[in-house]
Amino acid sequence: MATVTAPLPVGVGHVEGKKFKLNELLRWSVDHKIIGIQYMMTAFFFFIVGGALAMMIRWELLTPAIDLMADGTSYNQLFSIHGTVMIFLWIVPMMAGFGNYLLPLMLGAKDMAFPWLNAFAFWLIPPAGILMLSGFFVGQAEAGWTSYPPLSTLFSGDGQTLWAMSIHLLGLSSILGGINFIVTIKNMRPQGMGYFQMPLFAWAILATSIIVVLATPFLAGGLTLLLLDRVAGTAFFNPAEGGDVLLWQNVFWFYSHPAVYIMILPAFGMLSEILSVHSRKPIFGYRAIALSSLAIALVGFTVWAHHMFTSLTPELRIPFMITSMIIAVPTGIKVFSWLATLFGGKIHLTSAMVFALGFLSMFVIGGISGVMLGSIPVDIHVHDTYFVVSHLHFVLYGGSVFGIFAGIYHWFPKITGRMLNERLGKWHFIFTYIGFFFTFFPQHVVGILGMPRRVAEYAPEFQGWNVLISVASFVMGMATFILLYNIVISLRNGKEAGANPWRALTLEWQTSSPPPAHNFIGDPVPFKNPYGYGTKAAWEYLHKQEEKLGESVDALNVDKPASSVPAGD
Amino acid sequence: MAQRIMESELSRDELLALKNKRTGVFIFQVSWILIFVCLIIVNLQIRANFTSWPPPGIEALDNVLPTIAVVGLIASGFLARRGLNAMRTGMVADFFPNWVFALVLGGVFLLIMAYEFLSVQMTGQYSMVFRVMTAFHAVHAFVIGVVMLQVYGNARKGLYDAARHWMVEAAAKMWYFVVVAWIMFYTVLYII
Repeated sequence: MATVTAPLPVGVGHVEGKKFKLNELLRWSVDHKIIGIQYMMTAFFFFIVGGALAMMIRWELLTPAIDLMADGTSYNQLFSIHGTVMIFLWIVPMMAGFGNYLLPLMLGAKDMAFPWLNAFAFWLIPPAGILMLSGFFVGQAEAGWTSYPPLSTLFSGDGQTLWAMSIHLLGLSSILGGINFIVTIKNMRPQGMGYFQMPLFAWAILATSIIVVLATPFLAGGLTLLLLDRVAGTAFFNPAEGGDVLLWQNVFWFYSHPAVYIMILPAFGMLSEILSVHSRKPIFGYRAIALSSLAIALVGFTVWAHHMFTSLTPELRIPFMITSMIIAVPTGIKVFSWLATLFGGKIHLTSAMVFALGFLSMFVIGGISGVMLGSIPVDIHVHDTYFVVSHLHFVLYGGSVFGIFAGIYHWFPKITGRMLNERLGKWHFIFTYIGFFFTFFPQHVVGILGMPRRVAEYAPEFQGWNVLISVASFVMGMATFILLYNIVISLRNGKEAGANPWRALTLEWQTSSPPPAHNFIGDPVPFKNPYGYGTKAAWEYLHKQEEKLGESVDALNVDKPASSVPAGD
Repeated sequence: MAQRIMESELSRDELLALKNKRTGVFIFQVSWILIFVCLIIVNLQIRANFTSWPPPGIEALDNVLPTIAVVGLIASGFLARRGLNAMRTGMVADFFPNWVFALVLGGVFLLIMAYEFLSVQMTGQYSMVFRVMTAFHAVHAFVIGVVMLQVYGNARKGLYDAARHWMVEAAAKMWYFVVVAWIMFYTVLYII
């Protein structure tokens, strides 16, 4: 039975949250909320940059011959930086932005455990981004986001060195951020909030951070050797001098496969919050979802060599195939738990919810193609084809990016104090969903038919498919500007949200929107079950909250505390 | 126990900050040591490509001096711990000799390893991986040694006492890290 663990503090006046000004976001601050927004804004900038590069890739692929790019090298540079920017400068920092903004609020804390370190971790990102992009002026990296030697050591331009330095900085930023998240979660939960009373987003951030602190050092080690090979005359990755190219692949994938979970686990956490709130239903299988995040983090360290099936000795393939299949189990637990959460719920098709549902449908396709790729015979057949490109994007765009969009629609009112325009949100979803599907689903087909990835010229019989893919990608790309437009007009004219427009039970909604400097007036008291929707105790809790914080927009038009008391407990 | 009594003088916020710092340093150590583990894996994978290690024609490193260095480094770790314990229990006068000897032994270790670094025969992967590993460790030892030196200077100024000595604790813990990291490297570079 859900109960309030202690009475809400009474007699404390509500203080309006401070509105953020642009110049505050451009300077050093140790406030986790400002840092969170700085992460998000920076990441979104790089999303536009990476997206523009993607549009150029698709423009080039409208025809089978090279026409937009000067040569194959330019095309190599294009997709190398597209992949790197989207992973290291968009998804990872965007997730860190959500974590930074929300985690202390969800835990009822005043800030992160190490505010200064938090700011430092963020401010490593802009110079890293500049380093990455400045490679275009000195011969950009052209070895793909995976940077395999010998292409990355013996043939790429000086931009490859800048690439490695940039990733080094981003890795350090991630490690510092991960340490901060773990310490905050371990030490700064309020009284009455055990690990199993934490919001599932906090569990997701915990699992992500464990991966970050355990996997990223391997990337740092590998990058150090790569840099030494490029600038100091060593030959760790040069077989001609006794080095080993597979050494890089092992080290890189030991980081980069878990990194996929760094990118998707926070989105899982967001989904758990959003599906429960917008279907007014307690989350199904709380513990299973929470612990499956840790299981994913753990098993994620045992699957890296499935990226190297074609270069792996045959006796090692089977064990890695088995672990790759096993990791589908905790992910499946989550998916089924979410479906069970939706079942019988009062589903509100808000923009946040439709993106969350879009995530569910697209991520499942990506998961299934992932299981197919985990199977050695299929993997060897479709290795280095567009099938892999499709799988990757179904997971990272259909999963992570849809999750980010859902998160933006859900938490924008908390961050800014204003609602996003729902009508524009729906248009954004429709164009994104359709554009996304027709960009990436046909890539399964061309991949199975044998179209290789990472080439600017292709066989003429694939042109029809590629025209469809490119046109759809332009639609998807343009849809992003609907979101940007929505953000701009909503910041100026959006409806005032109030403290808790979604009638949510987690602690970030128990303060004004945006929250004041130290987040809460007095010590916030968590509701015992953060997903106990539809109960009398929840109604009473929300009612007291509204008395304290003032009336909010009733965005879901349901559960309005002042109307009627729902039956049951 | 004595330390807990001393720390009970701290406010709730100070205690939380201290707890955070201790947890943070622990997680940092666990994370950072994995870069050293990564380099060990690199060493092992590279040597697996050769029929023998060192590769034929290359002289193995003599391990007498490095063994003396590793004993000295371990001793310096114990001395740093004794210095930290002296500070924790309020016996500040006992802190100084322990800390200074830890620093001196750390300095001797670095000098020996610099000699080893320079004297390794420069041919191929054997010397490359040796130099990268020793240099990587030496950078850590040097930087943390400088922090210990600064802690020493601050202690001379009377900036630490039994209740407030976080920098002493952090520096000592990072010096243990240097010791543990080198024992791992020493095992791979000189023993197996």
